Amino acid sequence: MTRRVLVAMSGGVDSSVAAALLVREGYDVVGVTMKLFHDGGDVPDRPCCSLDSVNDARRVAEHLGIPHYVLNLQDRFGHDVVADFVAEYAAGRTPIPCVRCNTFTKFRDLLAKADAIDAAFIATGHYARIADGRLRRGVDEGKDQTYFLWGIDRAVLARMLLPVGAMTKAETRAVARELGLLTAEKPESQEICFVPDGDYVKVLERELPPGAPALAPGPIVTTDGRVVGTHDGFARYTVGQRRGLPGGSAEPMFVVALRPDDRAVVIGPREALLGRGLVAREANWLVPVPPAVGEAVQVRIRHRAAPVPGTVVRRERDEVEVALDEPVHAISPGQSVVFYDGDTVLGGGVIAASRRVLPLHAA
Amino acid sequence: MSPQPIYLDHAATTPVRPEVLEAMTPYFGARFGNPSSTHRWGREARAALDEARERVARCLGAAPDEVCFTSGGTEGDNLAVLGGWRALRAKGRRAVVTSPIEHKAVLQSVHQAAKEGAEERILQVDRSGAVSLEDARARIGAGDLALTSVMWVNNETGVIQPIEELAQLTKAAGGLFHTDAVQAFGKVEVDARTVPFDFVAVSGHKLGAPKGIGAFYIRRGTPLEPLFFGGSQDRGRRPGTENVAYAVGLARAMELALAERAAHWTALEALRDRLEAALLARVPDALINGRGARRAPHILNVSVPGTDSESLLMALDLQGVAASSGSACQSGSITPSHVLSAMGVRADLASAAIRMSLGSLTTPADIDRVAELFPALILKARGLAGVA
Repeated sequence: MTRRVLVAMSGGVDSSVAAALLVREGYDVVGVTMKLFHDGGDVPDRPCCSLDSVNDARRVAEHLGIPHYVLNLQDRFGHDVVADFVAEYAAGRTPIPCVRCNTFTKFRDLLAKADAIDAAFIATGHYARIADGRLRRGVDEGKDQTYFLWGIDRAVLARMLLPVGAMTKAETRAVARELGLLTAEKPESQEICFVPDGDYVKVLERELPPGAPALAPGPIVTTDGRVVGTHDGFARYTVGQRRGLPGGSAEPMFVVALRPDDRAVVIGPREALLGRGLVAREANWLVPVPPAVGEAVQVRIRHRAAPVPGTVVRRERDEVEVALDEPVHAISPGQSVVFYDGDTVLGGGVIAASRRVLPLHAA
Repeated sequence: MSPQPIYLDHAATTPVRPEVLEAMTPYFGARFGNPSSTHRWGREARAALDEARERVARCLGAAPDEVCFTSGGTEGDNLAVLGGWRALRAKGRRAVVTSPIEHKAVLQSVHQAAKEGAEERILQVDRSGAVSLEDARARIGAGDLALTSVMWVNNETGVIQPIEELAQLTKAAGGLFHTDAVQAFGKVEVDARTVPFDFVAVSGHKLGAPKGIGAFYIRRGTPLEPLFFGGSQDRGRRPGTENVAYAVGLARAMELALAERAAHWTALEALRDRLEAALLARVPDALINGRGARRAPHILNVSVPGTDSESLLMALDLQGVAASSGSACQSGSITPSHVLSAMGVRADLASAAIRMSLGSLTTPADIDRVAELFPALILKARGLAGVA
């Protein structure tokens, strides 16, 4: 009996090629496109949900001779991803919805659909690899998407197939052209699928109640406590941001913190952004034995940033604290931290706080 | 070795019957004329069209001038609701009454009428899926009635609606009565001599005629504004060069459906009951939607608690079994059925509903195989419930 695999097809080139490669390898491939949100009209060139994307995915599936279904996961995505996205901004943090989409929507809810059709595997067009039961970085360093995959259940790794992770983006496009896939030349989309025109504030304005503190005026204060201006909602700012701040300081000023308690946007000079460590919550481990206290790890605090060396200084329940060998800029609460050992993803978490000084109890 | 596919989606569409194809064939070839032309090609086509219209009329207990050809059920519903409403609006009538379980072709047309100034009145349905006559008496009788539109047989549950009573109530209130008979024709008796409807929409492709042809009945003397303009075909009610071949095919399909109606009902009812009993025996907590009502025999709508239609339909399809759920949007994703919601079916059960519709292709062996497959598929689909 051939092995069945359910492929999440967004209508983009990566998942199209993923499906094509699996067909070529002889799998019993079933394509699905997830409908994740309703944006009123059908916005073209959105990665997952527009009619155009669904049609592209379907045309590719027809071309490959595989069945294709559209799955409506709007309710769960709305709950697990969009609602959390809004709540995080309202709490003064900067969320990454793609992480939760992978954790809950793709590799939990979609996996349940795979179970329903007896599919042993689930495949996506992610640039990452599975080898020896470990999640590893994609071959294309510039495209590596492991930063967004740390939250999935470790047990799922054995059922994941990530065919394009072994290729560069250029090779993926070459395969798509060679196979005559209509998505071969489709432009890259880096945007969050449910955020129209990259303007996340529009989503907050739609989802938050009128007068929500996150979108209400508040003070802009410096790290030494001076009020230097006002803003019209701290959720409009992110840590590390320089644009849109009042001038008049001797050196460039950056957002260094958001303080929902008094609705303050805290600004300071570049060095105020430096962090020597961080605390993460919701920690999840993708290796059987998580790194112990005192163990050295590579730490990535944003997508595509080069991992920096650090040490685990505390690990209890789902919290982990690391000290960094070198100070790092703009460690932003709500963003992800991902731990690596070379190419292997050890795990990750959601950044809860940045540590300005080395923790006293560091080993 | 993949098993023989099983088609349980006859309510969606049916294959063109060989007799129908044979009847149509000459009009794709030598008899290609335009029925409006005055030469012999035109006359030949006109004769075929006239004859097709007479035959369709006979099938509906109607006179030939009471029948026009449309592109199908959706056009017939639009023509009746909007054409009827616009004609009555001119006489100062405002209310349009319909049920919440109509096909979108009716519901969206009624919404359009509301945008044009109609007062929308939606009838209640009971838990079994039938329109409440008590509520209908109140809403139809509330005055100012332009038009009532209620389907004869519901396309999701198969529930037969009290059309005769609704038509009589509507006539007594001075309004026009339309019924979408797309799922009814060939199953129940649709006869203009016994039921005082003003408009009826019938679709060809549910009966073994091609997609893209329908019959529309207009009782003689009933006011109607056309939707299309540009020619005198069909007395200006439906301008545009007639699709002679398809009209001939539709006439043949309707005659066959009528001739076979009683036998077809008996056969389908036996198969449907066999499927229903087998499913209930194997999955005892399965719920049959519409079970308490009078139902046409070709539709079985079942909800299994703890499952979802999406997963079940995929799993069935991958086993070669074609079924469907409530309604699919243009992207193909499944949305919970408005019909089941209106019946008061719990949201989780509505989103688990599977419609299996039987027809000419269905055999007892098909039924037995589906019943055999079902429990295993249910078990796997139930794995999902844990993530809710």
